[in-house]
Amino acid sequence: MRRYIRLYLYFLRFSFSKAMEFRLDFFFRFVMDCIYYVVNILFFKVIYLHTPVLAGWREDEIMIFVGTYILIDAINMTVFSTNLWWLPWLINKGDLDYYLIRPVRPLFFLSLREFSANSFMNLLIAGGFFIFSLSQYQGTYSVGDLFLFTILIINGSLLFYCIQTLTILPVFWTQSTRGFVDLFYTLGLAMERPHRIYKGIYKVLFTTLLPFALIASFPVKVFIDGPDLMTILHISAVTAAFFCLLNFVWTKGLKNYSSASS
Amino acid sequence: MNWWPHVVSLEFRKILVFRTEFWVTFLGQSLVQLVIARSLWTAIFEQQNVSEINGFTLPMLTLYYVIVPIGSRILTGENLGFLSREIYEGTFTRYLLYPLSWFQYKTLTYFTYSLFYAFQLMIFFVGYKFYLNGGMSLFEFGNLFLGIGLFLISSLTYLLISMAVELLSLWADNIWSLMVMLRFFSNFLGGALIPLAFFPKEAQVILSYTPFPNLISLPARTMMGLTSGQEIFQGLLVIGFWAVILALIVNLLWQRGQKKYTGVGI
Repeated sequence: MRRYIRLYLYFLRFSFSKAMEFRLDFFFRFVMDCIYYVVNILFFKVIYLHTPVLAGWREDEIMIFVGTYILIDAINMTVFSTNLWWLPWLINKGDLDYYLIRPVRPLFFLSLREFSANSFMNLLIAGGFFIFSLSQYQGTYSVGDLFLFTILIINGSLLFYCIQTLTILPVFWTQSTRGFVDLFYTLGLAMERPHRIYKGIYKVLFTTLLPFALIASFPVKVFIDGPDLMTILHISAVTAAFFCLLNFVWTKGLKNYSSASS
Repeated sequence: MNWWPHVVSLEFRKILVFRTEFWVTFLGQSLVQLVIARSLWTAIFEQQNVSEINGFTLPMLTLYYVIVPIGSRILTGENLGFLSREIYEGTFTRYLLYPLSWFQYKTLTYFTYSLFYAFQLMIFFVGYKFYLNGGMSLFEFGNLFLGIGLFLISSLTYLLISMAVELLSLWADNIWSLMVMLRFFSNFLGGALIPLAFFPKEAQVILSYTPFPNLISLPARTMMGLTSGQEIFQGLLVIGFWAVILALIVNLLWQRGQKKYTGVGI
């Protein structure tokens, strides 16, 4: 475990020095994420011009929801996304060999080796908006509620990572350049809407089979409505199932991987 | 011009190389966006207990979100990075050597994607109308073709905006984030996320002077039969004005940028 932590600290140091080399890119990515946040906030501001309540949530509550999903997005952009972006190329070009022969778990190395320093600035902004939205909340909450909320947000980030990686891994079989990652980004819209808008089959779809609603909306539900054992069990079970599924598909994919050595 | 059909044919084949992935992504993206948007608006209509908001009923909004996801793809044509990637990798050199116009080649490849998505939109739209109403009138067919035509015209304007941004990669190493920004802007300000009729009135007036409403909202509403001839004419004027401005900018960037470009081999 200590070896992995030390390795991750090396990743961080390398990533920051690399980011400083491309300063204009650093700035562009910072502005890009800021625009993403602004567009999402404005989206709900426009919606609330036409209704006082959406899916049972007032505007101050929906802003906590927006703060939560932009925070989770920022965590993933900072920690995982840049690494996952390169995964199809590594698989298709046979460069995965370099990672398979190292004495570290390949999925750990491939998922975490590049910490996106430019997105880290946005993580601070997303975190700032999240704290601001909590300060505007008209309800009450305890330190325990905040602690549980934080745990569920971390869980949401892990689930987000699992689903994103699962949409990329089909490249082991299709040999395409992107896998189903474009579909993932579209499905990501489901994370950006409150779970109560989904009814019937779509509710099952987005809370269990493609559990985007569990990433941000369920944690906010637990925070606003108070802890509910069934909801927490649901979130934990689905996350565990997706983590196991990810490891299963990764192992199967590696068996299908071939290269003429790098 | 005799090489045009070859380029179109080649691009069509490239689109369909990874068929499973292509169709899963296409159907998935279109249906998922429709389901999410419909769920959202159903919740709003139920909460407000009304049958119409800002001139839109729920079935009208559903049709709007049938059109918009594919319409957005007509606009964006080939995926982002279609120029900047080549400039960054140095493969851009070939356009300086081959005996064909870089601008024509890129426009043609981009437009092939747009045409392909336009065809898909037609199938989706007709299928939806037949499923819902059991058929289509001549008037509705007219609106369909007018809307598709507007989407294709808009895609050329969007291509010019994309080129203006992508050519910046002759100066900066990595500009993909600028392209993503452009997509955020065009989706939100073009009405892909929420119809522009739901925006505050002042915002609608300001937006009417920009190209954004004419990229997605105008063609989509035309397909639905919600626009007047005057509105379409005004939209074309605005989009034409911006196309001229953008063409001048692209030309300037191209002339200046070529001097900055370095690449080895093709």
